[in-house]
Amino acid sequence: MNSHTITHRQLFFLIVQTQIGVGVLSLPFSLFTKAKIDGWISLIIAGLFIQFSILAIWKLCDRFPHNTIYEILPKLMGKNLGLVFNFIYTLHFAFISILILIMYNSIVGKWILFETPHWVIIFIMTAVGYYFITSSPREIARFFVIVTPLLIVLFVFILYAYTDVHLLYIFPVGQTGMLTIIKSSSDAVVALLGFDASLVFLAYSNGTPAKNIKVISFASFCITVLYAFIVFTTYIFFNPAEIIIVPEPVLYMLKAFSFSIIERTDLVFLSIWIISVATSFISYLFIAAKGVQTLFGLNDHQKGAPYVAIFCAVIAIIPNEKLEVLMWNKYISLTSLIFSALFPIVLLLIAVLRKKQEKGAASS
Amino acid sequence: MRKILSLLPVLLLLTGCWDQAMLNQTKLITAGGFDYTKDGKVLTTAAVPQSVAAEAGQGNIVNQIFSASGNTARQSRLRLDRRVAERLDASKNQIILFGEAAAKKDIYQLLDVFYRDPKSALNAKLAVAKGKASDVISTRFEEPKMSSGVGEYLRDSIRSAEESATVPKENIQTVCPVMFDPGQDFALPYLEPLKKTVSIRGVALFHEHKMVGTIREPLSVTYTMLTGEKHTIAMSTTKKIFTNKKPELMNYVTFKVKKNKRSFNIDVTPEGKVSAEIKLKMKVVVTEYPRDNLATPGEVENVEKRLSKKLTKDANKVIQKLQKMNSDPYGVGRHVMAYHYPVWEKLNWKEVYPKIDFKASIDVDVIGHGIIE
Repeated sequence: MNSHTITHRQLFFLIVQTQIGVGVLSLPFSLFTKAKIDGWISLIIAGLFIQFSILAIWKLCDRFPHNTIYEILPKLMGKNLGLVFNFIYTLHFAFISILILIMYNSIVGKWILFETPHWVIIFIMTAVGYYFITSSPREIARFFVIVTPLLIVLFVFILYAYTDVHLLYIFPVGQTGMLTIIKSSSDAVVALLGFDASLVFLAYSNGTPAKNIKVISFASFCITVLYAFIVFTTYIFFNPAEIIIVPEPVLYMLKAFSFSIIERTDLVFLSIWIISVATSFISYLFIAAKGVQTLFGLNDHQKGAPYVAIFCAVIAIIPNEKLEVLMWNKYISLTSLIFSALFPIVLLLIAVLRKKQEKGAASS
Repeated sequence: MRKILSLLPVLLLLTGCWDQAMLNQTKLITAGGFDYTKDGKVLTTAAVPQSVAAEAGQGNIVNQIFSASGNTARQSRLRLDRRVAERLDASKNQIILFGEAAAKKDIYQLLDVFYRDPKSALNAKLAVAKGKASDVISTRFEEPKMSSGVGEYLRDSIRSAEESATVPKENIQTVCPVMFDPGQDFALPYLEPLKKTVSIRGVALFHEHKMVGTIREPLSVTYTMLTGEKHTIAMSTTKKIFTNKKPELMNYVTFKVKKNKRSFNIDVTPEGKVSAEIKLKMKVVVTEYPRDNLATPGEVENVEKRLSKKLTKDANKVIQKLQKMNSDPYGVGRHVMAYHYPVWEKLNWKEVYPKIDFKASIDVDVIGHGIIE
């Protein structure tokens, strides 16, 4: 276990990098279709909601120190039901990995590589994912820390949009009504997913529980602020009537900027963004591989890794039309909402009611 | 070390080969023009600069002009492609021109191709040409013969007009949000081809997707000032502030704007009556004043007063023209929409705008006058 532990700082970067992923490019669009120009408020509300899920996940993992979700489930629900839920969770995380691949493929195929066959795009990403998950969580975390400065580059690019914005587009605030705003925050929660990676990675952290909750909560807070900033920027860059025909507003916005050296800023942005996608993909693939390890009682997760990777890649190739992609997105988003955001709260309730707790854990 | 060396060949595999665009198999369009033919078809004209090796080893640019018509913009492009040996590529396009007749119909329908294609150059300039766009593009200009293609030449002409604030800064993407906005319109440079040059005559005003009129050059500078443009490299204009001096030349003063501050007030009464006022506070430097007596504060004040009066008059003239054309480039409607949404919903802005009370005033402050008094 020793070489497998991560510090609480590394945990911060793990969560940040898992949260930033495919969602960021189309988030302003998907929020707009529901909450109109008040989408950015929905996002902030969603950011508050997920803090509850985070609290639940942390409390749950606190009761069972150094246990991943796959070890907690059988202890909570008994052996048989635990096995069923382990299977569901493994499948769930595998499908999130698949969704990341699908969305990544559709955007790359649409924006840069028009002629390259889809399976090539998908297999390249899968190969990267597989290579990374054969290493230990500490090595993965180190990589995530190294690539984090790249986020600053993305941030600076988006900042450039302020040379041509129409601040008035955001008014009148609250035009859509509070109820719609709160309802559409469920879509925003999906984009903020990634904190659920702590269900597994918390088990490796060697920080104190107080430090752990601080870093996870702070990581989500940072991402909520970053996303709100991005959504807000695109809403004042595009006209409300225009944004409904631009599914990737962030890229489209960057495409319009050109500097004397870089003409197509969106291509530079995409190349960096792919790394963010890769980090999310690696996280989820790792979690899925961990699930396979528990399910089949393997000694280490590396043994199951190639099968998980190939499974994800093959499924991700199936949808090839835009509408199919949207359908997959819709259903996987829905299951994510249930299993990643809501179910941890239920699990915590079960643990409290049945007074399940690992010996040695500090009683609260 | 051997490990690293063995990894090097992998680099060769990373590039892939599906998505390559060979430069020798493409023709890069630098200027495109749209017109309508008599039977309502879209006529696309494209200029492709081709470098021809001259004898002394110096490159020389020859502009090849192609044109084709079709039912839509894309169809005419595809037909254009069939007339050219290589593949036409618009990713380095510098300017898109609309013939005046085409601009008066609808420009969004023609621009759809550019918004949709991920490879298109969204930072290309847009302009309206007096007469036909194809005439402008196929004119044999004096300047571009040697150095660059017609696209670069037109783009640079527009850029220099932007620097002198004759036209506002716009490109394909910047007009798009405004085009969709029911509460704001935009303006594009208005070109006129002369025999061997092209002259920027002012701005072409739009309402929704259609061109509705023009404001000619020196007044177009006042138009740009009213947009609240802070200052451009050479936002200068010449105004007649005296009427009785001889020779005629003595009546004029030329100044350069150093700082331009706009306050935009929109009032909506409870009954839904809209009134708007633009106030500009300008700090200017006098760059030409043949009367040469700016030594006393009284004289400076006199010039300031007369300039303010003259500019205010011009500004109101611009606004009157805009209301007459029913073009709202300053976004009065947008302000009403943003701050008085319930009122906005009741108004039929298209009918209300020409009738609203809309005024402007410009206050000039002379802060310098070159190195002589």
